[in-house]
Amino acid sequence: MSATSTAVRRRRAATAGFHLGAGALALLWLLPIALVLVTSLRSFDDIAAHGLGGLPHSFTLDNFRQAWVDGGQQRALINSLLVTVPCVLATLALAAMAAFALSRYDLPLRRSLLLLMLGGNLLPPQILLIPVSKLSEMIGVYDTLPALIGVQIGFGVGFYVFVLHGFMRAIPAEIQQAAVVDGAGPWQVFWRIILPLTRPALAALSALSFTWIFNDLLWAITVLRSDTKMPITAALIGLQGQYVSMWNVIAAGSVIAAAPTVAVFLRFQRHFVAGLNLGAVK
Amino acid sequence: MTHPQPSRRQLLAGLGAAGTAALLSGCVTSTSSSKSSSSGAVTLQSNLSAPQAKAAMRDIVAAYGKRKSGNVSLNTVAAETFRTQLPTYLTSANPPDVYTWYPGSVADAYAKKDLLLDLGELWDGPELKGYSKALHSLCTASSGKKVFVPTTYYWWGMFYRKSNFAKWGVSEPKTWDEFLDLCDKLKSKGVAPIGLGAGGNTAWVASAWFDYLDIRINGAKYHRELLAGRHRFDDPQVRRVFDRWREVLPYFDPNGTAGAFQDATTALLNGRSGMMLIGTFFADAAPKDALDDIDFFRFPVIDPKVPLAEEAPTDGYFASARTGRREGVLDLLGYLATAEAQEIYIKGSSGTVLPCHPDAKDAGTPLVKKGREHIEEAVEITQFFNRDSSDALQPTADTALTKFLAKPKEIDSILTDWQREAEKIWKA
Amino acid sequence: MAVLTAPHRKPPVPAPSRGGRARGPRRTPPLVLAFVLVPLLAEAVWVFWPAVQGFYLALTSWDGVSAPGFVGLGNFREMASDEVFRGALGHTVLWLVLFGGLSALLGLAAALLLQQERRGVGFYRAALFLPVVFSLVATALVWQAVYQPDGVLNELLESVGLGSLRHAWLADQDTALYAVIVPALWRQIGYVMVLYLAGLKGIDPALYEAAKVDGASAWQRFRHVTLPQLRSVNAVVVSVIIIDSLRSFDVVWSLTRGGPYHSSELLSTYMYSTAFQSLRLGYGSALAVVIFLLAFGVIASYLVRAFREAD
Repeated sequence: MSATSTAVRRRRAATAGFHLGAGALALLWLLPIALVLVTSLRSFDDIAAHGLGGLPHSFTLDNFRQAWVDGGQQRALINSLLVTVPCVLATLALAAMAAFALSRYDLPLRRSLLLLMLGGNLLPPQILLIPVSKLSEMIGVYDTLPALIGVQIGFGVGFYVFVLHGFMRAIPAEIQQAAVVDGAGPWQVFWRIILPLTRPALAALSALSFTWIFNDLLWAITVLRSDTKMPITAALIGLQGQYVSMWNVIAAGSVIAAAPTVAVFLRFQRHFVAGLNLGAVK
Repeated sequence: MTHPQPSRRQLLAGLGAAGTAALLSGCVTSTSSSKSSSSGAVTLQSNLSAPQAKAAMRDIVAAYGKRKSGNVSLNTVAAETFRTQLPTYLTSANPPDVYTWYPGSVADAYAKKDLLLDLGELWDGPELKGYSKALHSLCTASSGKKVFVPTTYYWWGMFYRKSNFAKWGVSEPKTWDEFLDLCDKLKSKGVAPIGLGAGGNTAWVASAWFDYLDIRINGAKYHRELLAGRHRFDDPQVRRVFDRWREVLPYFDPNGTAGAFQDATTALLNGRSGMMLIGTFFADAAPKDALDDIDFFRFPVIDPKVPLAEEAPTDGYFASARTGRREGVLDLLGYLATAEAQEIYIKGSSGTVLPCHPDAKDAGTPLVKKGREHIEEAVEITQFFNRDSSDALQPTADTALTKFLAKPKEIDSILTDWQREAEKIWKA
Repeated sequence: MAVLTAPHRKPPVPAPSRGGRARGPRRTPPLVLAFVLVPLLAEAVWVFWPAVQGFYLALTSWDGVSAPGFVGLGNFREMASDEVFRGALGHTVLWLVLFGGLSALLGLAAALLLQQERRGVGFYRAALFLPVVFSLVATALVWQAVYQPDGVLNELLESVGLGSLRHAWLADQDTALYAVIVPALWRQIGYVMVLYLAGLKGIDPALYEAAKVDGASAWQRFRHVTLPQLRSVNAVVVSVIIIDSLRSFDVVWSLTRGGPYHSSELLSTYMYSTAFQSLRLGYGSALAVVIFLLAFGVIASYLVRAFREAD
């Protein structure tokens, strides 16, 4: 009896220790975010009089209204979703297909192709800004959302191919062999076997790519010109003035902008840590 | 494992690809020469992204729409985005029609490349004819054509808080020696006499000191020539500017380069620093109850023989030469040049700017009245470092001046480096 | 496409999709080829073609508005004698080692800590991931407030008696670069953690059971089960970290713009300021080519080794 109770006590201590440690870490991590939240609840005069780091002397929810209505965040949020959702789906679909082909099949030059696709991401995006804007003009999609979708897909797919290739490579060959022996064609191997096994990676990448595309600023500025088409991060910097910026409204705007990505992350993180593991398949 | 076999076909394909690539790369640098569309509303691309300024622009557009002249579609983007994208806008196949920007050398750079619409017929009209001679010459490109319509301007000065000065028992100095005495007195009271907000992303604030010392010591003409590349930064005249600066360097806030100017404004209003060389836009960063308490004085005169010059940056509009809606554009610019439009803007924005139209009314506050007199007493007007030279030269000044503020003894190497960096920009 | 040739070894088994070879059929089915070519095409249009143009720009002198002037290798010659470039290169290598190394270690540590499904772990994971999600505009603002001379960090040092360590962290040339690494890590670790979490979940728990039965301690389990199983994921994560370190731009730019006077200048910030502030797009493109070659060299050498080990 005493052995189990010490084990129970040790486990409880371990749980307490875990929560203490992880909690402290989380708190430390969230401090700057807390500062953003506090800033978003202050009035402009308060920040002007006491500085950003000072204790708040005011409380207002008007900043959120101002960011939403005057700052055009409502429209920008819709733009962001219109761009991000198709992008994530298309990019991951294409990347999964390419990763599947490159990792499970004996294609010639497959390693060079992989490096080539990854190579597209090694170039600093800033230097591609002007060629891409000229290109989108030439194609005739300049200042349209499909141009932004196209750029995001093109620019993201190389990286995701590389990541998914790493995950797919780890799947043992016997599983695929077994399916092939049972008469499965490549599409069925892809759809029924490999894709479910890479679910953790796909969920992780969905969360990450949603975040990145949603928060992207550079490409939005490059291929879009009208402020009605700007996604949310570009709309956020549009709240900055020429000389003076209303930090309280911008802070409120970034809280609004963060909400969808946090929601997506919370929804998806269950998947990439609760995905099937290989043992169960066997 | 299979290894890639470079076959002859592959090699030829590769070379062919490289050749086509070289041909196609011509595309990225070409500026299309087709005329843009002539239907639809005149597009106004604006960088006035502060909420008040944006609202004021919307008021102007609404007022213009009421006059049945035509429709204007206003597009506001962040100021930094606008600056980096302006070359792309102007060289694109379907450029926006009208742009907010600044006159002088920064507009001339585009006028030289024939990207700006000739506005000569507007300037012959009744509204613009009455503008001051200085504005006439400011808006003329080096080719002699008028390419710009100025609408508002503001001024730079030594701003301070009246109640704080009263508390410390000091008053506005008129000469350089009085200014140094004022700094001594403030320092003895434990206040950092001169505030500066050249940290963060606002390092350009330090250039105001360079500009003012240069135009006080060497005159506005020398200053403009220096910025245009006709003198050198390691000339003895420039060295004299920095020698004079070192006299006041001990009075600068030691944290002057650590925070942006918005934070320096807070420090000024809280009494931690005494005064700041800044433009009137600084009032936008102040809480509303402090606005009446703000006053300024002229940067002290150093050499009475040098013609009095002040910094008064002007804002306005220009248009793309490749617009297809020339009539609409000229009509809009003509409206923007009227007193009515400028008054609408001043009313809607924070009211610290002055209109360019001689008959337009300003906001009427004592500060604005003083500012008007302040400018009218000046013989020469300069625009500011980056507007008198180019946006590309500004970072060289930022680097040089922040280094000087931290290490004033290294002034010789700083000036040599500055000259070297500036030459790269001037030669480009 | 001419580059894809059929493999040379043709085994005698007749039916293409049957047989007991170790990896897939011999002749690649057309569907699989399409699987590769379609994404490749998308990337070629939006990335490779502009990249080729970007490389071409490196051989010119261009201000973005007038016609470009061909200067051959002039930009690279200028780079060789450019002191700022050498400083930026040094800072970039330092950044790669410090930022890259720390994000890998701390990200793995965070993933190990939070990999078990227990109550509240979702909250902790979200907390670490939140900085990745929050827009840089607001967080840069807040970090500037933290680093100000009268800001949170200095106040904290003062309160624990370390007032002598007070600095103007972002304005002092000795501390600027290191000060910027902290918010950069703060934003990066959550993301590395997510990648490692996905990798850790792919490890068969039966291996851990077997190790526990054999009496292995936690550290031994980590060294002999976790690390080897993570190898292919590690290849990915390390490459990702290298790419991100070399492309790090946003955080540094929004906090210091490479200042004060180039003391926190990275190759990426130098490239941006040259191309978009000094409007010397030719020289900026040349710097981009250098970044690319550096990234390619590091990644390729790492991956070639990783591939050779795995195969």
